Amino acid sequence: MNPILFWAREVLALLFFLFFLVFGLSGLLGLFRFPDPWSRLQASSVTSTTSVFSLLTALLLIAPSWAMASRILIIMAFFMISSPTGSHIIARFLWFSGLPHWMPEEKDKG
Amino acid sequence: MTQFLLPLIPWILLAFIGITLLRLIIGPSLGDRLVALNVLSGLALGFLVVQGLLQGRELYLDVALVYDIFGFLGFLAFAFFLKNKSNGDNP
Repeated sequence: MNPILFWAREVLALLFFLFFLVFGLSGLLGLFRFPDPWSRLQASSVTSTTSVFSLLTALLLIAPSWAMASRILIIMAFFMISSPTGSHIIARFLWFSGLPHWMPEEKDKG
Repeated sequence: MTQFLLPLIPWILLAFIGITLLRLIIGPSLGDRLVALNVLSGLALGFLVVQGLLQGRELYLDVALVYDIFGFLGFLAFAFFLKNKSNGDNP
């Protein structure tokens, strides 16, 4: 394999690993910093969907054989369907169970 | 360059899973626990795929795919069951 293709894949994989780290850490930070489940849901869906998806693309780029690359592609396709739907299910559950959402206290608005 | 980084990824993923477990345990309301579960299934999938690539066995990738499918179905049933339990009137 010519070195240009090799290094292109390496650099792109590193880029996507960086995305994985950035989104993972920011989502985890949001998971603990946000006041109520509603906003934590947004932070967690960032973590689980975007970071794992960029991790899968990075692994797709450095997959050694075509057999592995095709499997990773199928996993990515299904993960793109199941993870956002899971987040939507939680949102519906939170909505129907009528969880109270966080409101800034009166004095903060002043 | 990535072959030095690749063995590091499972440890990072385990750290993320550990922190999310913390949220699963602490989580005051039921919604937080569901949120943590959703993150856990995504991270576990990533962990499986990375292991599959590290050891060069395609079997792990099939395991990851089946895990994702059943994880999603289980999550669906879980949320549906909780919806009935929480307000109990509409099916």
